[in-house]
Amino acid sequence: MGTSAEPGETGFVTSLDLPRPHLLRRVFGPLAARDFWAEYAWLWLSGPLTLFSLLSFLVVLVAGLWLTPVLFGFLVLAGAIRYARGLGAAHRGLARALLGVSVPAPRRPELKPGLWSWVKARVGDPAGWRTAGYLLLRLPLTVAGLFAMVSATLYGLVATTFAFFWFPLGERQLPVFDIYADHWAGALAWSASGLLVLVVLPWVTHAFAALDRLLVVGLLGERVLSERVRDLEASRATAVEDAALRLRRIERDLHDGAQAQLVALAMKLGLAKDELEDLDLPQVKALVTAAHTNAKQALTELRDLARGIHPAALDAGLDVALATLVATSGIDARVVVDLPRRPPPSLETILYFSAAELLTNAAKHGRAATSVEVTDDHEVLRLRVRDRGPGGARIVPGGGLAGVAERLRTVDGELTVTSPPGGPTEVTARVPLPR
Amino acid sequence: MRIVIAEDSTILRQGLVELLTFRGHEVVAAVKDADALRAAVGSHTPDVSIVDIRMPPTHTDEGLRAAIALRGELPGCAILLFSQYVETKYAAQLLADRAGGVGYLLKDRVAEVSDFLDALRRVADGETVLDPEVVSQLFSATRQTDALDGLTPREREVLGLMAEGRSNSAIAAKLFLSAGSVEKYVTSIFGKLGLPPSEGDNRRVLAVLRYLDS
Repeated sequence: MGTSAEPGETGFVTSLDLPRPHLLRRVFGPLAARDFWAEYAWLWLSGPLTLFSLLSFLVVLVAGLWLTPVLFGFLVLAGAIRYARGLGAAHRGLARALLGVSVPAPRRPELKPGLWSWVKARVGDPAGWRTAGYLLLRLPLTVAGLFAMVSATLYGLVATTFAFFWFPLGERQLPVFDIYADHWAGALAWSASGLLVLVVLPWVTHAFAALDRLLVVGLLGERVLSERVRDLEASRATAVEDAALRLRRIERDLHDGAQAQLVALAMKLGLAKDELEDLDLPQVKALVTAAHTNAKQALTELRDLARGIHPAALDAGLDVALATLVATSGIDARVVVDLPRRPPPSLETILYFSAAELLTNAAKHGRAATSVEVTDDHEVLRLRVRDRGPGGARIVPGGGLAGVAERLRTVDGELTVTSPPGGPTEVTARVPLPR
Repeated sequence: MRIVIAEDSTILRQGLVELLTFRGHEVVAAVKDADALRAAVGSHTPDVSIVDIRMPPTHTDEGLRAAIALRGELPGCAILLFSQYVETKYAAQLLADRAGGVGYLLKDRVAEVSDFLDALRRVADGETVLDPEVVSQLFSATRQTDALDGLTPREREVLGLMAEGRSNSAIAAKLFLSAGSVEKYVTSIFGKLGLPPSEGDNRRVLAVLRYLDS
């Protein structure tokens, strides 16, 4: 009765174009909504998926545990956790399609070469274990959900249509749910109760789906703080590296573009100046000479600017760059760079500019630096600038040293200053090398 | 002069070709990278090659490496290295074979056309020409030890100008000295650096090399 009336009513409501949906629409609308059908489908589909997943996972897990006395068992165990990850992915995919929750896949465990390392990384994979927990928690929920869905759907459909059977066919009794009526009013009551169940069905479905969403977000995504930190570290490293590369590209563009153009311009002006030498054109001569001087000045400034963006000497390595830096700044300092291999470009850049700032800072306070050292100290890059000045150097907010400390912090570096009164001053920057 | 140019920037390459042709020189080849340079020098045997340090593919020091390789194959082949920046270390590598006929200049120097052509000529003649900036880097760095410590400030100044490839008369003009007193300083420098007089003009190169070595 209700179901047959519904399409007509819906058309009626829309034709009136009421600002508030019609009562019938509010009651039966949820049944027609796409969300409901998606959630409904989720409950049907995810139930068997979870049951199958949990059972198969437990079989592999138990097999692995049982076999652990034999070394092969660890392999099976690792496989089980890897398998759990896959099951998590399947649930996540289904939840994305039907529940509309998009959770990022947990990061892959860091796999190092070697079978034993693989087993360790796999067995210790937190995402795999969380998926196992998810499956266990979901088991009762699945059972309850499936039971509620199946019975409510069946009862709703059967009871609602009971009145149709009762009137024309004279069926007094249905083989399920003890549905029986002697009187037409009783049949109608059954139908009404069935309709009620159908109306409530979306809300129940939604309640189950909401619980599932919580579980999916909480256990199948990337939620553990340590993983999040690791993720942030990785993305920050990428950002820093990216910025270094970009600056390098800007410098190269300047070199190939503006600088080349300016050199050519200055060259032609120089030629023009020379050619005008013997002519009696004082004003033109003065103009060309001025333009020539301007072009040369612009070249010098552009070169300084480009050097500030990315010192070209860094391409040849930190040792060349620091030696050039010390030489050009006119400081009488010894440069020692002792690194077994080249650090990433971003760290080289940061160390270079830190050294530049430390040298400038030392010179500014009348403490000419005496040595600049870069060493690799157990996976930590160490830059040390020493001077024989009067000491008393401190990190003050807004000062040069604070600027260096700030710069170092972007790569988890730190700055320590030892500067007793009377000197000598030793400033050390430490930057961890990426693992 | 017969000249080969290796420069990846089109505008600079063409500018140099124009400039040199205008001043009556013959550019026998103008190429874009190190491989083409080596081929061009091999087939044309120019009086001097002008080589950009940064060239494809990595844009770091291809030109320098090509120059060192070329001088290994053809000792004494004159090369003027050309760079947007000067690095002392590059100069030291380039001068390591001590054969003369090398120059290392900032690109900016082409703006002073006559000085640039003069430097090019001297490189072609087998002299060593260093950019004033390289020289000042050498002076400020702590490389000058031992023998160089014995030089007076004035002698260092003279040696610096020598390293730039200037003749005695040019040094005299620059420092407002008489040619005779410059001669005296130069002799004194040679003496302090332990360079025997018999080597003649080549001593100028050797004196400059002391900076790079020490």
